[in-house]
Amino acid sequence: MTALATIRDLTVTYRRDGSEVAALKSINLDIAVGERLAIIGESGSGKSTLALAIARLLPASSAVSGGIEWPGLAHAPLGGRDIGFVFQDPSASLDPVMAIGKQIAEVAHTHLGLTWPQAYAKAKHLLERVRLPDPGSALRAFPHQLSGGQKQRVAIAAAIAAGPKLLIADEATSALDTIVQAEIVALIRRLVTEDGMTLLFISHDIALAAELAERIAVFRHGQLVELGTTAEIVGAPAQAYTRTLLDAHIGLDAKPLLNRAGLDV
Amino acid sequence: MSLLTVSNLTKRYHRGDKTIAAVDDVSFHIDSGETLALAGPSGSGKSTIARLVLRLIEPDDGRIDFEGDDFLALNGAALRVRRARLQMVFQDPLAAFNPRATVARVLDDPLRIHGIASRSERPRRIAALLERVGLTADLAPRAIHEISGGQRQRVAIARAVATKPSLIVLDEAVSALDVSVRGQILDLLLDLQRQERIAYLFISHDLGVIRAIAHRVVLLDAGRIAESGDACAVIDAPQSAIGKALVAAAPRLNRTKQDAS
Amino acid sequence: MSPLRRFLRTPEAVAGAILLAVLIAMALSAPLLFPGDPQAIAGPALLSPFQDWSLPLGTDRLGRNVLAELFHGARTSLAVGLAAAAAALVVGAVVGTLAGFAGGLVDEVLMRITDAFQTVPSFLLALAFVSVVGSSLGIVAIAIALGTWTGPARVARAEVLSIRERDYVAGARVIGMHPLVIAFREVLPNALPPVLAMSSVIVAAAILTEAALSFLGLGDPNRVTWGGMIAEGRAVLRTAPFLSIVPGIALVLTVLGVYLAGEGIVETTAVRRGLS
Repeated sequence: MTALATIRDLTVTYRRDGSEVAALKSINLDIAVGERLAIIGESGSGKSTLALAIARLLPASSAVSGGIEWPGLAHAPLGGRDIGFVFQDPSASLDPVMAIGKQIAEVAHTHLGLTWPQAYAKAKHLLERVRLPDPGSALRAFPHQLSGGQKQRVAIAAAIAAGPKLLIADEATSALDTIVQAEIVALIRRLVTEDGMTLLFISHDIALAAELAERIAVFRHGQLVELGTTAEIVGAPAQAYTRTLLDAHIGLDAKPLLNRAGLDV
Repeated sequence: MSLLTVSNLTKRYHRGDKTIAAVDDVSFHIDSGETLALAGPSGSGKSTIARLVLRLIEPDDGRIDFEGDDFLALNGAALRVRRARLQMVFQDPLAAFNPRATVARVLDDPLRIHGIASRSERPRRIAALLERVGLTADLAPRAIHEISGGQRQRVAIARAVATKPSLIVLDEAVSALDVSVRGQILDLLLDLQRQERIAYLFISHDLGVIRAIAHRVVLLDAGRIAESGDACAVIDAPQSAIGKALVAAAPRLNRTKQDAS
Repeated sequence: MSPLRRFLRTPEAVAGAILLAVLIAMALSAPLLFPGDPQAIAGPALLSPFQDWSLPLGTDRLGRNVLAELFHGARTSLAVGLAAAAAALVVGAVVGTLAGFAGGLVDEVLMRITDAFQTVPSFLLALAFVSVVGSSLGIVAIAIALGTWTGPARVARAEVLSIRERDYVAGARVIGMHPLVIAFREVLPNALPPVLAMSSVIVAAAILTEAALSFLGLGDPNRVTWGGMIAEGRAVLRTAPFLSIVPGIALVLTVLGVYLAGEGIVETTAVRRGLS
C-alpha cells in the first residue's frame, strides 16, 4: 500500500493553567492513499486531537513531538488545498454573513487560482454534487436559511472545493438526526469514491464507522488501542476495549433490556 | 386510569405571517411504571412535547391530565408543589446545572423546596441519593464542572428522583454520553423504574435504545403522530413512511459482522 | 497561570493599580497626615508650590494648604465615585434581571422607565436632582447613580434574556423553585460578569460627574472636592494656574488609574473564562 501520510511517534500535550495534559501518546499510524479510515473513541480518547494535528489546526497552546510525513504528496500539505476538513457544527464553520456561493468560490479562487466567474461556476457545480436543491439560487443563500443537514452539505462542498487529497470529517454527522446522518454518510462515501480522495472519518459511533470505513483505528486515553480492517475489528476484535465498545452498541437487533413481563398490571 | 393523559395537544409558532404547528393534535397516555418513547427526526416536535408536558411552555390547545388532575389548570404555588411528582433529565448534563453549583447544592434544592427533609437531615439524604444512583457521598462538595459527564448525568437523575416523582421526562438523556457510560445509565434508569414504579417519557432519536428500554413508542413526523404501539413491534416492522425511514437510517453493526464471518 | 500573575504581567493594569493604590493611600492617610479642617487657613494666601516645605503645593486664595485639600479631596472623589457606581450597578442589575426574567408587561414597564431616564442627559439629571434636593455627599452619589444605572440595566437584561433560555433555568423551574429565587439566585449571578465589566467606566464617569457638580458649586459644601478646587482656582487662573492644574492632574490620573485597573481585571478574568 502507498502511504499518503505516515504518523510517527506523535505526542500532543495541551498546557492548561500550568498543568500539562497529554492528548495523544506516541501514535504510529499510516494512512493509505485512497482508503477510508475511521478513528473511533469516546470523549478524551484524543481522536479529535489527531484530526487537528493532521490538518495542522492544533491550538498554539499545544506542544507536539514526533511527526507526520507525507510520502503521498510532493510537498508539505496546505490546509484547505490538500486537506479538506468538515467539523461537527456546520454553523460554526460557515460565515453567517457571507453568501454560501462566495464561501465555496473563495476556496477555489484562493487555492486553484480560478477567476471569480470560474470559481462561482465551480461553486455551483459543487452544490450540485452535494445535492443541494436548486444550486443556482442556493449560491446567493445565507447559512441561516438552510437546515442543519443542508449546511453540512455546504460545508462539505467548501471542504472539497480545492480538490484535496485527504478529507477529514470530525464527528461531521453527530449533530444531525438519524435520517440526515445517513444521507450525509452516503454523500461522503460517494464524493470520496468519485474523486479518489482519502477519508479520515472521526466518530464516537462504531456502527456508523463500520458502515463507512475500510479500516478502523480504536483510540482510548490518547493511545491507539487497536487497528484493523472493519471486518477484523467488528468480527474478531483483539482487544477487550474494542469488544466493550461493540457490546455497548445498542442496535435494532439488540435484546431488550426491559423485563416486559414486569409491566403486566 | 392512566398516570398521564395528553389529549389533542397543539402548539403553534408564528414566524412572520406564517403559522407553524410544532405540535399538531397529539394524544397519548402513560401508565405508572411504564416507559413511553417519543421518536422522530429533528423538528418533529418531540422536545416541544416534553416542554409542554412539563409546563415549561404553554400549549395553544389540548388537555394534559396528570395523576387525575387537569394539569394545565394548576398555577403558581399549586403548580410548584405538584412539580415534585413530574421531573426531568436533560440531554447535556453540564448545561442542566447552574455553572456555579456544587453537587450538594443541586440535590439540596429539591429537598428544601418541597420540605422533604429538615436542614439537619438533608446532608444524610443527599448522601443517600448519591448512593442510590451509584455515586459516593464524598462527591457532594465537588463543583458540577469538576466531575465527569457520566457522574453529572447520575447527579441529574438523583435530583429528579429526590422528590419521589411518578413520572420523569428524559429528553435525549443518554444521547450525549459515551457508549460505555450509556449502558450503565440505562441500567440505573431501569432499576429505578423497577424499584419505585417511576414512569418515563423517553425522548430519543435512537431507535436501538428505544427498542431496548421502552414499552411503547410514538413516532412523530412534523408535529403529528405517524405511528404508535409496542416498541419492539413498531421498530421491527414499521408501517409509516417516517418509521421506515428511521429504521433504514439507523447504523447497523450486524451487517458488517455477517460480512466478516 | 493564575489571574493575579497574568494581571501583574500587563503593564497598563499594573500602572492603573499603582495609581489606584496611591489614590487609596491618599484617601486613607488624609486624616492622619492632615488632621483638622483642611479648609482652615494654614499660611499666606496664594503661596506658589515648592516655596515653603511645610506647604509643598502652596496655598490658595484664602491661604488654605493645597496638599491637604488634595488629600481630603481624594476621599470625596473616591467615596462618591464608588458609592454612585455601586448604587448604579445594584439598581441596574436588579431592574435588568427583573425585566429580562419576567418578560411581558413587567419588562415593558421597566424598560420604558429605563428609556425615560436614558433620554435625559445624565449630567442634567444629576444637576436637577442636586439643585432640588440639596447637596450632601449621599445626595450627590444618588444624583450621579440616577443617570448611570440604565447602562448596567440594559446589559443585565440582555444577558438575562439569553440565560433564561438555558437548560438549568428550566431545571430550576422543574424542581419547583420560586421564580424570584430563580431570577436572583440562579440567573443574576451568572449575568453579572458583563455588568461588572462596566464598573471601571462607571466609577470613572461618576468621579468626573462629581467633580463637574462641585465645579458648578453643587457639591457638598462642607467637604473639599477636586472639582471645587478647580473652580476656586479659576478666578486666579492667570496668576496662579497651579491651583487649577494640581487638582486637574489628580483627577486625570485617578480616572486613568480606575480605568486601566478595571480593564486589567476584566481582561485577565475574561482570558480565564475563555480557557475553561
